[in-house]
Amino acid sequence: MTDQPNIRVLLVDDEETLLEYLSKRLLKLGFTVKATFSGEQAIEVAKQDHYDVAVVDLKMPGIDGVETQKQLRQIQPFLQCIVLTGHGSIESALESGQEDAFQYLLKPVDHDDLVAAIKEAHKKKLEVQDAKFREQLDEIHKSGLGAHGMRKAIADLRKIYGLE
Amino acid sequence: MDSNSTLKAELKRLSRELASHKIELHQTRGYLHSILQNSTDMIFATEVTGILISFSKGAEKALGYSVEEIIGRSIEELAEDRHGFHHVMATCEEQGCAMAPDIYFRDKEGKRVHCHASLMSLTNRDGQRVGTVGVCRDITQWKKLQDDLVQVDRLAEMGRIAAGVAHELNNPMAVISEASGWAEMVIKDAKGLSHEDRQELEDVIKKISAQTRRCRNVTHKLLDFVRDSAPTKTEFDIHTLIKETIDFLKPELKHTPIEIHLNFAGEPLPVTSDPKLLEQVFVNFITNAIHAVLEKQGNQGRIEIGTTKADSQVEIRITDNGGGIPKEAREEIFELFYTTKPPGKGTGLGLPICRNIVGNLGGKITLDSEVGVGTTFTIQIPIS
Repeated sequence: MTDQPNIRVLLVDDEETLLEYLSKRLLKLGFTVKATFSGEQAIEVAKQDHYDVAVVDLKMPGIDGVETQKQLRQIQPFLQCIVLTGHGSIESALESGQEDAFQYLLKPVDHDDLVAAIKEAHKKKLEVQDAKFREQLDEIHKSGLGAHGMRKAIADLRKIYGLE
Repeated sequence: MDSNSTLKAELKRLSRELASHKIELHQTRGYLHSILQNSTDMIFATEVTGILISFSKGAEKALGYSVEEIIGRSIEELAEDRHGFHHVMATCEEQGCAMAPDIYFRDKEGKRVHCHASLMSLTNRDGQRVGTVGVCRDITQWKKLQDDLVQVDRLAEMGRIAAGVAHELNNPMAVISEASGWAEMVIKDAKGLSHEDRQELEDVIKKISAQTRRCRNVTHKLLDFVRDSAPTKTEFDIHTLIKETIDFLKPELKHTPIEIHLNFAGEPLPVTSDPKLLEQVFVNFITNAIHAVLEKQGNQGRIEIGTTKADSQVEIRITDNGGGIPKEAREEIFELFYTTKPPGKGTGLGLPICRNIVGNLGGKITLDSEVGVGTTFTIQIPIS
C-alpha cells in the first residue's frame, strides 16, 4: 500500500474538517500524521514527539502561523515547515520565508503537489540533520572521551535527534 | 541771476526725478504686463459698475473670449449664477475684498468653468473705489481629478474586497478538495460495490475535483493579479501568458458573441520580461477590445491576437472589429483620465498605465484604427 519512508508530519490548521480528510489521506499514503488545531497545541505536541515536516496554516486564532513556525523550530531545529494557507499574501509569504519556511503553498493545494513538497522537505531535513549529526559525532570522537563516556554522549545525541 | 540758477537746478533735479519715475513706471508696467500675459490664472479688472476694462491672457484661454470681444461687457454676464456673483462683488465693495471658492463661469461655448475667485477693490489716490480686480483660478480639472480619485479609490477597495473573498473561498474549497480526495480513496477500497456503481462514484469524484480545480484557478489567478509584487524579469513563453490571460477573462466573454482567434508565430516564443506586468497590459487591451466589440451593436464580434518575432523584438497585436477610434482621439486615449465610458464605468487609467508599463519594459505601443471597422493595438517588447 505504501512505499513512503516513515515521514512524521505535523499538521497545524484551525480548519478541523480540512485536517480530518487531509490526515486520513496522508495516513493512507503511509505518512505518520499528527493533526493539531492551533499553534499552541502544535508546540505542546512538538515538545513530546519528533516530527520531520510541519504543514502550517498562517492565519489562526491565538499564535499565528509565523510565530508557530518560529517556536516549533526552537524546539526541533531540523523540522521543515511548509506553509499552507488560504489567506496568502506576499507579505506573509516573505515573512514566513524569513522564518525559513521550506515552501509556501496556497489553498486549495493539489494533493500531489503537497505530497511532493512533504517528501522534498523530509529530504532536506535529513540532509541538514545528518550534516549536523556527523559534525557533532566528530567532535565527540575528537574529545578523547572513554568508551563509556562516548556511549553516553552518543545516546544523548540520539535522543536529541529523535533517533531512539 | 541767483534765483535763475536755483530754478534751473531745481528744474534739472525735477526732470531727473521724473525720468527715474518714468523708468520705474515703465518697469512696473512691464512687470504687470508680463504677469497678465503669462499667468494661467484669469486676471481681470472692471469699472465700479462691473464693466470689464482688462482681461488677461489666462482669462482669454480659460473662457475662450478674446480681449476685444470681452472689453466693455459686464463680468457678471459671464457668471453662471449672476445673482450670486453680484453678491460677491457687493461684498468686495463693502469690505474691500471677497473670496469665492466655488464660482462657475460659462466659457464662449457655454461650457462650465469651475473657478476659485478672489476679488479686490481698486481705489484711486483719494481712496475712492474705481473698480474691482479679480484673480480666478480655473479648478475644473482639479475638481475632476478629485472625483476621479474617489472613483479610483473605490475600485482599489473593490479589488481588495475581491481578494478577501477569494481568500475566504480558498478555505472551504480546500476542504472540498480533501474530502473528495478521501472519498476517492474510500471508493477504491470499497468492497461489494457493483461495477456500475463504482464507475459512477468515481465519475462523480472526478467531476468534483475538476470543478474544485476550476474554482482554484479562478481564486489563485485573482489573488495573483491583485497582489503587489516587485518588478521582476524572468524568461517565459509569451504565448502561454496570452492563453492564460484569455482564460482569466473567460467570465467576461461568457454569453457574448465574441470569438477570439489566435494567430501565433510558431510555438513557443520565449521572452525575458516581467510576466505579471505584461499580463496586466494584456488584460487591459483584451478587456478594451471586448468592450469595443460589444458597444458596436449587432456585431459578430471578433478579436484576433497575433504575435510576430522580429530581430530582438516581439510584437503582439490585438485586433478588434469594434467601432474604431476617431483620428482626433488617438493620442488622447493615452492621456490620464480620458474615457469614453459613462461616469462611474471607466477611470481613464488603463491605457496610460499600459503605456507606462510597456515603456518601462523597453517597448512601445502603437495603434491603427478605422472608424466603423476596428482597431489594432500593437505592443512591441524586447525579447530580453
